[in-house]
Amino acid sequence: MMNRKNYIYILCCTCLFVLFSCRHGEGEYHGVTDRIEAESKNYHGTSISSEKYLEGIKTIEITEGEHTFLIPERKNQITSYACTECHSKPLTQMQGKDAKNAHWDIKLVHANKNTMNCITCHNPDNMDNLTSLTGNNIDFNNSYNLCNQCHTKQFKDWKGGAHGKRLAGWAPPRASMTCVNCHNPHKPHFESKWPERFNTETVKERE
Amino acid sequence: MSSDNKKWFSLNLNRKKKESSGTCGCGKTSGGCGSYSEHPQMTDEEFAEAAINASIGEERTKDGFDQVFDVKMDRRSAFKKLTASLLIGAGAVSTSCSVISGDESKEKAQIDWEEQFKGNYKLMDDDEKKGTVERLMRSYELRTGKNISMSSKNAEDDVLFGYAFNISKCQGYMDCVNACVEENNQDRNSQMQYIRIHEMKDGKGFNFNEADDNYYHEVPAEGHFYMGTQCFHCDNPPCVEVCPVQATWREDDGLVVVDYDWCVGCRYCMAACPYDGRRFNWSKPEVPETEINKNQHYLGNRMRKKGVVEKCTFCVQRSRAGKNPACVEACPTGARIFGNLLDPNSTIRWVLENKKVFRLKEDLGTEPKFWYFMD
Ligand code: SF4
Ligand code: SF4
Repeated sequence: MMNRKNYIYILCCTCLFVLFSCRHGEGEYHGVTDRIEAESKNYHGTSISSEKYLEGIKTIEITEGEHTFLIPERKNQITSYACTECHSKPLTQMQGKDAKNAHWDIKLVHANKNTMNCITCHNPDNMDNLTSLTGNNIDFNNSYNLCNQCHTKQFKDWKGGAHGKRLAGWAPPRASMTCVNCHNPHKPHFESKWPERFNTETVKERE
Repeated sequence: MSSDNKKWFSLNLNRKKKESSGTCGCGKTSGGCGSYSEHPQMTDEEFAEAAINASIGEERTKDGFDQVFDVKMDRRSAFKKLTASLLIGAGAVSTSCSVISGDESKEKAQIDWEEQFKGNYKLMDDDEKKGTVERLMRSYELRTGKNISMSSKNAEDDVLFGYAFNISKCQGYMDCVNACVEENNQDRNSQMQYIRIHEMKDGKGFNFNEADDNYYHEVPAEGHFYMGTQCFHCDNPPCVEVCPVQATWREDDGLVVVDYDWCVGCRYCMAACPYDGRRFNWSKPEVPETEINKNQHYLGNRMRKKGVVEKCTFCVQRSRAGKNPACVEACPTGARIFGNLLDPNSTIRWVLENKKVFRLKEDLGTEPKFWYFMD
């Protein structure tokens, strides 16, 4: 009788021990990557949304590969779109001494002269659209399709979200800025400049 | 606010609570608890003011640091204080039996009292959290005549915040630091910035000893790259482990936060953090009234006092509302990416799965939720 009691007691203890020894502190997971993997398996979405931060911003939805997201509308941001409002005559007739000056502030600093000039991206016969390398029309709203002809790596990162900036918050729906929201297409590099402020002076505490 | 179910004691100066006279709060019908009868000539109002002044009067004008180090207490004053606090307890009990009409200074005293004796935010339930946040807002209004909004929003289910930093993109412009200082009401005089940008020589790896943290020249400098550090919100945070009073902890959405009212300023956590993520208020933090960010969170950018520790909270007041942290929004190069690690479709997840990411001092097992990557 005594033996049996002892046996049951030991069995219970072992069970308890096994139960508890599997959990060490926070560590149901062996690292944060394990936690992410496990906890996102039954991800149901959150109630947090960044929709309200998008109010008043005109966006269009695009689907590229497996990614679908919003980008800001472009045409309404271009001063005096449509281009044909001015470009009513062929370019040759608009250039000359008596014609009004326009686009005087645009200087092309993008690749070198052998690679690019105005008509690499603009079609003189169809000013209201951009043109691909093979002469197809590209809508101004989807101008990223023009850039991605050469900048394929950046395009891939941008689609995934590693390149560029979000328009509203982190929460869904995803709205991302497009190439021309950060880069001037005629002069796409970032200028060097002075920093916005002094950098931290770390306090030397331990000396 | 009900006074029945609290973890701290309330004065209830303004509450109109009818109880049969002759029975005071402590339940005794005679003598025992009360010294109220010893001051029959004072009005309730005077009594309350006097009692509070006697016990915590000085502390009301001092911040945490002064309170701890600036006390001149001999045995006599210690006794006096002890008696005073007994009196105040007795007074509170007896005032709760009587009816007084409200008035601002009394409300202030009431708020100060309840704030003084509130519990750790970590252990509060939602009502208590709301209570303390409301008191803090009201107290700000009473002191300055201006309104702030303070949130006590809890962590949301299915959210785990994570951050990625693109080393090839950062140019050292420091817009992020400016945005952070303004967003988080950081002291304008001390070098309190949560974010540090390190200028490193190309080809030398991450050599923090040789990095220039104090640069001021045109950026980016030839032959250098830039990387930012801040609190990495470790999933296994050593800073939390060492806190003797549990004033800092990891929330369910992964944010490591500090209750500035519970922190005793021992700075253990600063010593424990392997990433230099924490900052200490050596002086009283000051922000010009016009520059105060009035959109606040209890665990985030509300005003701090001297002698407590603070750090990056991934802008909890913004991130829990769906916005990006201020640094992410301010960065002109898009080097900073923030999002929900549990959402398989989030951009941060794409970065972690498709770029070659790494973290600092991974071998320590702190599991930071802050990854670095390159183009
Ligand atoms: S980086 Fe430092 S302060 Fe931030 S959670 Fe990790 S150990 Fe704590
Ligand atoms: S300084 Fe504050 S938060 Fe840090 S360990 Fe001490 S009490 Fe805790």
